[in-house]
Amino acid sequence: MTNFLRKYRPFVSAGIEEAIVYRANFLLFALGNTLGAFVTYFLWKAVFQSSTNSSLSGFTFPEMVLYIFLSFFTGILTSSDGSSSVGDEVKDGSIAMRILKPISFTANYFYEEIGSKLIDVGVLAVPLFGGILIYQIVGTGTPVLNLGNLLLYFFSATVAYLINFYFNICFSFTAFFFRNLWGSNVLKNALVIFMSGSLVPLAFFPPVLQNVLKVLPFSSLLYTPVMLYLGKYSMQQTISVLLLQIFWLIFFIFLAKIIWHFAIKHLSIQGG
Amino acid sequence: MRRVLHLEKIFISQYLKQTMEYKADFIVGVLGVLLNQVLNLIFLQVIFSQVPKLAGWSLQQIVFIYGFALIPKGLDHLFFDNLWIVGQKLVRKGEFDKYLTRPINPLFHVLVETFQVDAFGELLVGVILLVMSSATVHWTLLKVILFIVSIPFATAIYTALKIGTSAAAFWMKKSNTITYLFYMFNDFAKYPVSIFNHLIRWIISFVIPFAFTAFYPASYFLTGKNVLFNLGGLVVISVVFLFISIKIWNKGISSYESAGS
Repeated sequence: MTNFLRKYRPFVSAGIEEAIVYRANFLLFALGNTLGAFVTYFLWKAVFQSSTNSSLSGFTFPEMVLYIFLSFFTGILTSSDGSSSVGDEVKDGSIAMRILKPISFTANYFYEEIGSKLIDVGVLAVPLFGGILIYQIVGTGTPVLNLGNLLLYFFSATVAYLINFYFNICFSFTAFFFRNLWGSNVLKNALVIFMSGSLVPLAFFPPVLQNVLKVLPFSSLLYTPVMLYLGKYSMQQTISVLLLQIFWLIFFIFLAKIIWHFAIKHLSIQGG
Repeated sequence: MRRVLHLEKIFISQYLKQTMEYKADFIVGVLGVLLNQVLNLIFLQVIFSQVPKLAGWSLQQIVFIYGFALIPKGLDHLFFDNLWIVGQKLVRKGEFDKYLTRPINPLFHVLVETFQVDAFGELLVGVILLVMSSATVHWTLLKVILFIVSIPFATAIYTALKIGTSAAAFWMKKSNTITYLFYMFNDFAKYPVSIFNHLIRWIISFVIPFAFTAFYPASYFLTGKNVLFNLGGLVVISVVFLFISIKIWNKGISSYESAGS
């Protein structure tokens, strides 16, 4: 075990160093993305003001505000961009260096990403999650802060991150066939944003579509942790959504192993 | 002018060859851009399934504003996307040298070098939405002419903001995240300004004036009111911003120093 840790520790610190160098850039970038959440906030505010009902599809306005900002924060917490670098590395051939090393290909990406993620989340958690907590404590009509839900949220968000990591690894292997990943990334991101509930809570969709989306792995990436935080699930529902999350995690771990087995034979390095 | 068009044609065909190198990926990408817009429309649909009118605007009217917003955004994306690369790596890696050694204006060269075909996704959706919702507008000949005239000015606002912010790279080496921060304000332009608070309204009207790329001109075509502010403002703002950003660019170029090796 210590041997294992020693082998991978340099990747964590390399990831941290890289993240610090680019922190200023990262902050501006994150600020740019936050604007999107504010647009959504003002839109829903106008919707609730134009509506005669105080709750829409089971959401009161304060719950909606929490949903918007919490799903934005969860999106950062669970994001995984291993797949984008696989595409670039296949394109310029540097992936060969990773494959030559006597360490697991997937673990290599994982530990590198953990390093930079610690910094990213650490920097953003204070203003974003702090803001959410303050709103919840000070705001009127907001759902009461619940320690149990908070723990469920962090557990579920961690599982969501792992699902997302393995899902993206599986997805990144398509670079071995398509060479360039820009296009499929655009398509994937559009679909994931929609189906994970980050654009609009799944509860707003027609019942049939809702039921399909809730079973698909994408709801496990974002909708499940956010709804757990808001305390929208009964005990029984909580258990079943968590089990579903774990099922998808195991599914993608195995899928990644299987695809890797076949993809490695397909790899052709251009230039050198 | 003929030389400009001729050069533009050469650059476009060169760039298309590059893009077509990865054909399958490219087609998937265009589909992705299209899908992104379609999903955003479903989002609007969901909102309007809850309320008949949003801050006094009907779904059709919002669709018109949304469609209008995509046209200048798409045109800028199609023709002038290379500006992103200036702040991302051209200056930092010293690759900007190449523009200074050619017998054409460096800014012009940067602008025409790429032709981002995936922008057709935005333009296509924009046109479809405008056609779908055009029944809400009482079209007159004057409005048609003003519509055509307003498009290049609205596009110029996008391009001006990108020129000005990417020029920051001449001092800071890397400025694409600044461009990104500014650019993301365009999200606000697609909706009526009245839903935002005063601070944001003020910013998107006069500081990062994306409201003039969509909501203000579109609201003139929808209501026929305030032509002086809605369209006159567009012309003034876009000319002023373009002027300032070219000034910044020129000042930046004179302090550009190539990367050592």
